[in-house]
Amino acid sequence: MSRTLDPFVIMAYRQFRRFLRTKARVVTSILNPIIWIAFFGLGWANAFNFPMAKAIFGGVDYLTFLTPGVTAMAVFTASFIGGVTVIWDKQFGFLKEVLVAPASRTGIILGRIFGDAVIAVLQGLAIMALSFAIAHNLNPYGILPALAYAFILALGFTSAGVALALKMTSMEGFQMVISLLMMPLIFLSGAFYPIKFMPGWMKWVAYINPLTYAVDGMRHYLSGVSTFNPLTDLAVLCIITAAFMALASRLFKKATID
Amino acid sequence: MTEYAVVAEGLVKKFGSVTAVAGVSFKVRYGEIFGFLGPNGAGKTTTIHMLATLLKPTAGDAWVAGHHIVKESDAVRRSIGVVFQDPSLDSELTAYENMYIHGKIYGMGGEELRYRIEEMLRFVELYEHRNRLVKYFSGGMRRRLEIARALLHKPKVLFLDEPTLGLDPQTRAHIWEYIKRLRDEGGVTIFLTTHYMDEAEELCDRLAIIDHGKIIAEDTPNQLKRLVGSDIIYLKVRAVNGAPNSCDALSAPPVMECKPLREGMVALKVSDATQAIPVILERAASMGLRVAEVSYRKPTLNDVFLYLTGREIREEEGSEADFLKHVIRMRRFRRR
Repeated sequence: MSRTLDPFVIMAYRQFRRFLRTKARVVTSILNPIIWIAFFGLGWANAFNFPMAKAIFGGVDYLTFLTPGVTAMAVFTASFIGGVTVIWDKQFGFLKEVLVAPASRTGIILGRIFGDAVIAVLQGLAIMALSFAIAHNLNPYGILPALAYAFILALGFTSAGVALALKMTSMEGFQMVISLLMMPLIFLSGAFYPIKFMPGWMKWVAYINPLTYAVDGMRHYLSGVSTFNPLTDLAVLCIITAAFMALASRLFKKATID
Repeated sequence: MTEYAVVAEGLVKKFGSVTAVAGVSFKVRYGEIFGFLGPNGAGKTTTIHMLATLLKPTAGDAWVAGHHIVKESDAVRRSIGVVFQDPSLDSELTAYENMYIHGKIYGMGGEELRYRIEEMLRFVELYEHRNRLVKYFSGGMRRRLEIARALLHKPKVLFLDEPTLGLDPQTRAHIWEYIKRLRDEGGVTIFLTTHYMDEAEELCDRLAIIDHGKIIAEDTPNQLKRLVGSDIIYLKVRAVNGAPNSCDALSAPPVMECKPLREGMVALKVSDATQAIPVILERAASMGLRVAEVSYRKPTLNDVFLYLTGREIREEEGSEADFLKHVIRMRRFRRR
C-alpha cells in the first residue's frame, strides 16, 4: 500500500506480537502498580479514615484520590521502559534489518511507538479495573476520557524512551538513566499526595513535570478533583508528546550503525 | 555503469583516526559471485555496510544496481538483500512472522507475499519449522532463514557477510549449496565476504583479496593461484656460517621466484615440483645451506595470501580484529 502506512502498521503489529510472547514483561509491569495500590493505598486509606481527611484530597477519600494517579504511573512506567526494546533490537541485530529497508523511517518508528503506547494503555486499563474494584467512588463515565489522556501520555513517554534508547548502547546504561528519572517524576507528579501541600520548590518541579498533567487530567475525570483545568492538562500533554515524538523520529531518521 | 551490479571507486571509511577501508575500487558483474577474501579487520564488513547504505563513506563513490549509495540510497535499498555477519532476526517471533514483517516493510502484501514466503522457506528447507520461534533455532537454521528473508523481495544484489561464520562443516556445505543454486538459477548477483579460503575457492567466480583496508589482488581464484606458480615448494633453511642469503642462492631456474617468509622459511615458485626439488636440494647443499624441511603443494588461496602479504590469514584471526574493535569502542566512549 503506502510507503509510510505499511511499515507503521507492521511495526505496531510486531510490538504487539513480541509483547504477548514476553510474559515476564506483562507480569512485572502490572504487578508493580498493584503493589502500590494494595500495600501503599490500602494502608494510607485506613490512616486517612477520619472525617477531616477528605478535605486534604479535595473532598474525596484517599483511594479515590490515589487510584487515577497509580493508573497514570502504570502507563508512564510501561511506556518509558518500553524503549528498552530498541536496545534489544540494537543488541540482537533486528535494528539493522530495519535500517537497511527501503521503507519510510518515520513510518517505522511511529508504528513502533504507537504499538508500544497501546500496550502501555492496556496495562493501565488493567490497573483501572482493579481501581474500580477497590475504590468505590470512581466515576465510570470518566474511563474513556481518562484513557485518552493515558494514551497521549503513553505516546509521549514511549517516544522519550525510544529517543533515549537510540542514543544509548548498553542495556545497563539505559536502565540506569530510566530508573534515575522515574522515581522523582512519579513522586513529583501529585500521584500520591496533592501538589498544593508540597514545599515551594517541589511545586515548581511538579509544574514542569509532564506526568503531573496526565495524573491531574485523569483524576479530574475519574475522581472529580483536579488542580488545573483539564483542557490545560490536555494542551500541555499534547505539546510535550508532539515534541518527544518529533525528537524520536528525528533521531531514528539519522540513525546509522556504528 | 549498467553492465555492473556493483561499482566502487576509491571507497574510504575512517572511524576517527582508524582507517578501516583505505580506498577500494572494484566492479562486480551481473550474475556472478564476487568475494572479498581477507583476515578479520581487513575492512570487509565496513565495505558491505557502505554498499548497503548503512554507513556513509568518508570518501569515494559507489553504485549498486546503477544507483549511487549516498545520493540514491532508497533505490539502492530496494535493490539489495543483506545477510549481516551478526544475527539480525527477531528471535521472539516465528520464522514465518520474521518473513512476513520483512515483506511488509518492503512493501509486499497479499497472496504474492504469502506465496513468496512459502517459496523461500521451502528453498532453505525451513518450511516445516515456519511456526517455531526463532529463539529455538540452531545457528545454521537462523542463517538459512536470514538468507531466505534477504531474498524475499527479489533483490538484484545479495550481500552475504561471512555467510558461514561459526557454523559446523556440514551446515557450511549446506549453505554453499544454496548459494551455488542461486547463481545457477540466475537473477541475483552475490557479493560475499569471507576469511575462509575454501569458501572463497568453492563459491567465488571472482574475488578480491583485501588486507589492511586495501585490495591487493583481484581475479578469478585460478588466476590468483597462478600468481604463485603451478607448484609451490616450501623450504626451511638453516644458514651455515658464510652462506649467502637463501633467496639469492636459490633464485635460478627451475625456480621462477623466491620469497622469504618467517623463521627461515622460503617459498619457491616452480612449474613442476617433482623435478625441481632434487635440483634445488643439490644447489642448496653446494651453496652451504642446510635444508631442514621441504614440502610442496598445489597452490591454494592461502598460498596466494601468504605470497602477497608474507602472512597467513589465520594468524590474523583475533588479534588485529579485536584490536580494531577495541579502538573503535574506545572512541565511542570518548565521543559520549
